Order: sequence, then C-alpha cells, then structure tokens
Amino acid sequence: MERKLQQAFFALSIVALVLILAAEWQANTPSWKNYQRTFLQLEAQDEPNAAAKAAVLATPLEIHQVMLTGLQRVDRCTTCHLGVDDPTLKNAPEPYRYHANLGPHIPSRFGCTICHGGQGLATDKQNAHGSVPFWPNPLLSPDYVRASCGRCHKEGDVPGVPELAEGRHLFETQGCRGCHKLNGVGGSIGPDLSEEGASLRSPTWLEQHFLVPSAVSAGSAMPNFHFTKDQARALTYYMLSLTNQDMGSYYASVRLIPSPEYGHELFVEKNCIACHNVGGVGAKTGPDLLGVTKRHSPEWLDEQLVNPQLVYPGSSMPEYDLETNARKALLAFMTTATPEDAQSIVAGRKTALKPEDVAIEAGKQDFARFGCVGCHGTELQGGVPNPNAQGGEVPSLLHVADDYTKDEVIAIIRDGKAPPLDNPAGLTPPLYMPSWKHVLSDEDINRVADYLWSMQQKKESW
Amino acid sequence: MNLIRDIWQSIVRRDPLSTDKGKSELVFLNVWLHIHPAKVKKENMKFRHSFYLGFITFFLFLILLTTGIALMCYYRPYPPQAYQDMKDLQFVVFMGPFLRNMHRWAAHGMVVCVFLHMCRVFYTGSYKKPRQFNWVVGVVLLLLTLGLSFTGYLLPWDQLAFWAITVGSNIGSYAPIVGGQLRELLLGGHSVGEAALLRFYVLHVAVLPSALILLTIVHFWRVRKDGGLSRPVWKLKPKTEQLVTIGAPPAGVPLQAAAASKDKTYGLMEVVTGKPIFETITPEEEEDTVFSYPYAFVREAVVLMGTVTTIMVMSLFLNAPLEQLANPAKTPNPAKAPWYFLGLQELVSHSALLGGVIAPALMVLALLLIPYLDRNPSRRPAERKLILWLFTLFVVANLALIVIGTFFRGPGWALVPPWVHVVGGAE
Repeated sequence: MERKLQQAFFALSIVALVLILAAEWQANTPSWKNYQRTFLQLEAQDEPNAAAKAAVLATPLEIHQVMLTGLQRVDRCTTCHLGVDDPTLKNAPEPYRYHANLGPHIPSRFGCTICHGGQGLATDKQNAHGSVPFWPNPLLSPDYVRASCGRCHKEGDVPGVPELAEGRHLFETQGCRGCHKLNGVGGSIGPDLSEEGASLRSPTWLEQHFLVPSAVSAGSAMPNFHFTKDQARALTYYMLSLTNQDMGSYYASVRLIPSPEYGHELFVEKNCIACHNVGGVGAKTGPDLLGVTKRHSPEWLDEQLVNPQLVYPGSSMPEYDLETNARKALLAFMTTATPEDAQSIVAGRKTALKPEDVAIEAGKQDFARFGCVGCHGTELQGGVPNPNAQGGEVPSLLHVADDYTKDEVIAIIRDGKAPPLDNPAGLTPPLYMPSWKHVLSDEDINRVADYLWSMQQKKESW
Repeated sequence: MNLIRDIWQSIVRRDPLSTDKGKSELVFLNVWLHIHPAKVKKENMKFRHSFYLGFITFFLFLILLTTGIALMCYYRPYPPQAYQDMKDLQFVVFMGPFLRNMHRWAAHGMVVCVFLHMCRVFYTGSYKKPRQFNWVVGVVLLLLTLGLSFTGYLLPWDQLAFWAITVGSNIGSYAPIVGGQLRELLLGGHSVGEAALLRFYVLHVAVLPSALILLTIVHFWRVRKDGGLSRPVWKLKPKTEQLVTIGAPPAGVPLQAAAASKDKTYGLMEVVTGKPIFETITPEEEEDTVFSYPYAFVREAVVLMGTVTTIMVMSLFLNAPLEQLANPAKTPNPAKAPWYFLGLQELVSHSALLGGVIAPALMVLALLLIPYLDRNPSRRPAERKLILWLFTLFVVANLALIVIGTFFRGPGWALVPPWVHVVGGAE
C-alpha cells in the first residue's frame, strides 16, 4: 500500500511535469510563427549569397503590433501580414502581399481593423479575422471595406466612395429618422442606429433588409421602400460607417475632406452666388471670385471667411460658421471654379436670382447664427414645447405675415415679447422672446425680417 | 564536504528520518508541518472516510493563490483595459491562456469541493461537540469562497461578467432596508461600473484572500486541537478512561497518565489530566496510530498532485469563457448570475422576497446554527435519520434549482429545455 502510494506520487508528478511541458509547447507553437517562418524563407530566396540568406532566416520571430491610442485599438495584423508596407511585395502571396492604394492611410498610423474590421488583438487567423463567437466585428468582405471610410470622414464627399454621400442623403430624405434615432435625433419605433456600424449585423443582412425587410427579419415593422440595388448598397455603406466611437483628434480632424466637390456643394448650400459672381456670372453685389485664389493668399482668404469684418470693416459679407476643412473645401473649389460652374449653379436655382437675395441670405445666416433656430426651428417650423404658452409650444414663423405687419415683427425682435398665456392663472411659460436690440444692429434685424418674409412668399407660391 | 553538511544541518536540525525521534521532529520542528501531529490515527487517513475533500479544497486554494498572483501581473482593474488585458492573456502572454484556465477551473472546483466537504462533515456528524464552532468557521469559509468566486467573476469585464454581477448584486438588493445600501456599498454606485470593478478587485486580491487565509489557519488549528479529523466513532471500540500521549513509547511499556498535581495542570507534552474537552486516544487505539511521516504526508502529496494534474488537464483542453466587452446598454437574454447563485435567481424569478431575502437568510442562518440546534449527541447515522433526511433534502433542492436555472432557463426566463435551440437566443 505505502509503496504503491509513493509510486502514485511519482507517477502523478511526472504527469504534472509532462502537462507543464505540453502547455509550454502549446504556448511556444502559435500559428503566427509558421507564417513568419514561411515569410522569411520567401525573403531569403531573393538574397544573393548564403550568408545573407542565413541572416534573413535568423531574424527573430516576434509579434508585431501597432498601438493606436487615438483609435483605441492595438492591431497585431502585421504579425502575419508582413508585407503590407513593402512595395516590392506587390505580387507576393497572401498574407504577405503589399497593400496598394493606401494614400496617407499607412498601417503604422491607422492599423488595419479601423477599415477592415476583425480582431486586431488576436494572433491566430480565426480569431483575428473575427468570425468567432463573441466578436462583434468580423472582417468586412472586400465589397464593403470602403464603407469604413465613413467612420472618420463623417461629412461631405468622400472621394472614391460616392455610396456614403448617397446613403446619407437617402437617410435624411426618405424619412428614416421618423422611426430610427441617429445620434440622439429620431423616432423610437425602430432600433437606434447610432452604433449600427459596430453591431453584429452582416453587410449582406443589411443589404437584404433594405431590399426586402421581411426577407431577413420576419414580421419587421419596417416598410418596403422599394429601394434599387444601388440605393440599398449605399444605405448599407452608410449604416456600416455609423459609430460613435471616439476617434483621436487627428482622425476626427479629417471628418470632412476638403475636396473641390464638397466646396461646390457648400457654395450652392450657402448661396454664395446671391452676392458673388464668377467671371461675371452671378450677382454683382460682391466681388468677382474668378481667380480669387491667385489674387490673395490662402490665409487672407481663410480670414475673410472666418471674420470678414476684421479684413474689411463694414463688409456686408456675413460670418459663416464653417469649420476649417469646410473653408479649405470652398477655397479648393475657388481654385477650379469657372463661369460655366456659376452658370450651372444659377440655372439650378429654384427661384431666379434677385437683388434682395443678398439681404435675405444674410438674414438667414443671422437667424441661424444668433440661435433663433433653437426655438423657431431651422425651417421656421417652431414646435419647441413651452408649457402654458398659447398652443403649448413656440410658434411657427411660417405664417407670420398673416398675423403681423413687417414693422410689428421688427418691433417684436427689437423689444422682445412675453408669450400670451393659455391659462392666465397658470405658471409663466419658461420660454419667451428676448429683446435683441442690444445684440443685433437695426440692419441685421431688418435682414432677419426680410428673410422671414421671403419664406412667406415661398409658402404662398406653393 | 563538511561545510555542506554543516549548512544542511543548520537548516534541518532534526535526527535522521530512520529514527522515530527524527520522524517526530520532522513535524515538531517544522513550522509548515507542525499543524500535523507527529502521529496520526490510521482511521483518519482512510480515503473513503473523508475523500480528502478538505485537503483538495485547500490545494485548489493554493493553485488559485499562485495563478492569481501571476495573473495580477497582467491585469489592470479599470474598464475597458481590463477586457483588453484578458485578450492579451489569450493572445500574447506566454502561457497566458493556460494560466487563466487554471485559475478559472480551480475556482469553480473550490466552490464545488468546499460544498462537498461541508456535506461530508455533516453526514459524519463531525460538527458535534467539541467541534461546533469549527463548523461555524467552516460555514464562514464557504461564504468567503463564494465571495471570492463572485468578485473574481467580474474582473474579465466581458458581457458574461458584467451581467452576472448585475443580476447577482440585484438579488442581494432585495433585502429590506439595508439591501439597497449594501449593494451601493459593494458597487460604489447604483450600477456596475468602474467603481464596482475596482472594489471587486480589491476584495478579490486583498480583503477576501487574507480573511480566508486567517480563518483557514483557525480551521486547521482547531481540527488539530480536537484530535485530528473526526472518525466514525460508531465503528470504534468503547473508550477507557485512561489517557495517553500521542507518540508514546512503543507497545509493551504500560502507559500512565501524569499524576495530577496542585500547581500543574499538565505534565508531559499533550498529556492532560482531568476530563478533556478534546478527543484523545486510549491505549488500545494507540496501536492504531502511525507516524505522520511518511504515512499521512505521502497521501496528502498524492492528493495534491492529483488535484494539480486534474486542473492542468482541464486547463489544457477547456478554455475559460470570454465574451464581448461589457456593454451596459445591451442586456443578454436571459442574463444569468454565476451558476452557484442560479438557485437563488430561480427563486427570485418566482418571488423576489423568497429568493432574495428569506431563502438566503434562512440558509446561512440554519447552516451557522446547525451545531447548536441539533441537540442529539449521537453521531451514529442510525440515530440521526431525520436530520440526515432534512439535510439531503436541502442539498437536493439546492442542486435541482441550480440545474433548472443553469440548463432549463431561456430568454425571458422561460422554461426551455437545453436540447431545444432558441432562434435568436444567442444575441
């Protein structure tokens, strides 16, 4: 008995030792080492002499990683994908092939997973490619990788990815927000889409869902919008780009790409043609913009967009709250703008260009810049709740001309007004019209009134 | 050579192990081994008597201590780094997965073994006089083990951890008046978050292990003072009045108790006069004792290596679970507490008061008070039929509830047998 116990002890000790060795063997033979060995052999083939071959083969095997604090990730993909930044490996077999067409998006600054998805922390193929349980972002198929551009480039035009702008446009125009919340705004009938790009949905699921909602989600309340294949693809791209993940300041700064195309878009949106002309085409109130980038330095032009009063005291150019890259985009458009561009912009307008447009546009800018839109809405629709005010909300200004004369409105803007009460005995409504006379000049107030009346006219003409 | 021998003898100051004196001194003169007596009863070493469950529990704790300290080197107790550290353990730390697996499986094993150990002690009636209080210490050790497992459960900061702790701490909050405050104290807030992770970490690596080690020392010390493991007395010959020392001279020489004197309450080491509160051995039994070295030690060593190898084999082939990063906005359906609390969660699903307050309070109170409520002095199973049946009922009910909660509860806590696949249940 005692002898057997001693033998059992020794036997078990040997088993334990073997198990430790097995665990060590397991730890010492990860699959990435095989990939690196194969890669080194590939590299060694091209070496001229035996000594150089041996030197290459003696390269220590180690995990490569890119620490991306700004993107809150660590990507170890380059442990196996060893040739991504080596142009001589253009034709190498995967996983060693060079990644062409990256532009400024070099792996050492961006890693891989921000665009491709997958699990950057992992060091074996299955886990790294992310098709494993409990990893929400598997590798995106090549058809959809470009959607990831929208994760950083959230606004404007993304060169090479028209789908993103198209998807965003569809989202805002097809009434998606009626049911879906995006970044806090929207209905709550459907799921919140703010983090849709980080969800478990596969791109093919999304695309199917846009084509025929009930095909992938039985009993879905989502109506069939009869999107075309291209529209479904565009919406899918947009969905895949949606994320609220904090990007570091460097990545956030490229939210908007300063492309001439986006500058063109802004030029139309901000109605620059209402004052300016290009080579004589357009309004004559402001200066001709043809070749303006040759006449002035970029810094001067940028300042002109930020604070026109500083450059030309008394300038009638309004202040536009444009971010840096939007200003850059406008200037980029200016370098290429031709009278033909201006002609097509003028032709594309809903109403003909009139001299008053200058004042109306300035009034619209004031209306937005001084926060009138906060209560009265970007489209003058009003609707912000204001308990115990007549109607219970801030009034719409769309029909202000029916109730007031222009002078009365100017007086109200100047001196402010307490809203009429629903219940005279009740509480004072929290919101009221403040007096603006110390904030806005008479000229500004007149412009705002002009703007309001311009909107009335539009309504009547509908 | 003399120098080496001198050094060796300065470390090991006992006689050679070939002599009985040497065997005794091995135990007496060694701080780590002297929790053992120099001689132990043969009966105590029988495997089928105790199944060495106490030892296994202790050895599992040693595994947890060593692997846990190693894991601490790779862990930052704040989100979301905590989760990234788990991934690093999985993918880049040398033998990281093995380390984490060992810690995980040993932890589950310890919860199981401490419970089985308690059952063994109950069925043999070993909580009876003079061991009542040691049973109470044991119950506290059980609670500490559950607490260690529960606090450790949160540390990976994945969905499994986050929601198990959310549900688990909710069960506790049903206690009247203090429940909510206790939960807030434990979590450092109203919900599981950064503060909770840090608190759980502090409890897990400092407070609870220290308490467990201290109480384990008390537990062992009292077992030792009560004459070693309790034996199935009903199988022993009746005792005589005469008392002897353990490790007395060889048979043949008659043994005498030391003469009582007015100024001395004891004579020789471990010889006690008067009526002892401890279990002691009689001359007849003396023949049934053997030296701890090598008889007890070799058995303990076999059990130790058996425990270690079992955990190692499990750790080589079974990976500890790691789900997605904790997401407070995404509740899994169903969200389940750690398995050993699923019995309570099952009760909570029927009645929050029953599962959250009455059942756990009664269970802990009943366990603590068993040695004082059970007035029956006999340890013979034949004379304890009622209480044995009651305890069996308690154990079976607990296990049944845990099994139902673990395997038979699907989305919405609906009754779903494990062989039925619920579509969408994985999300």
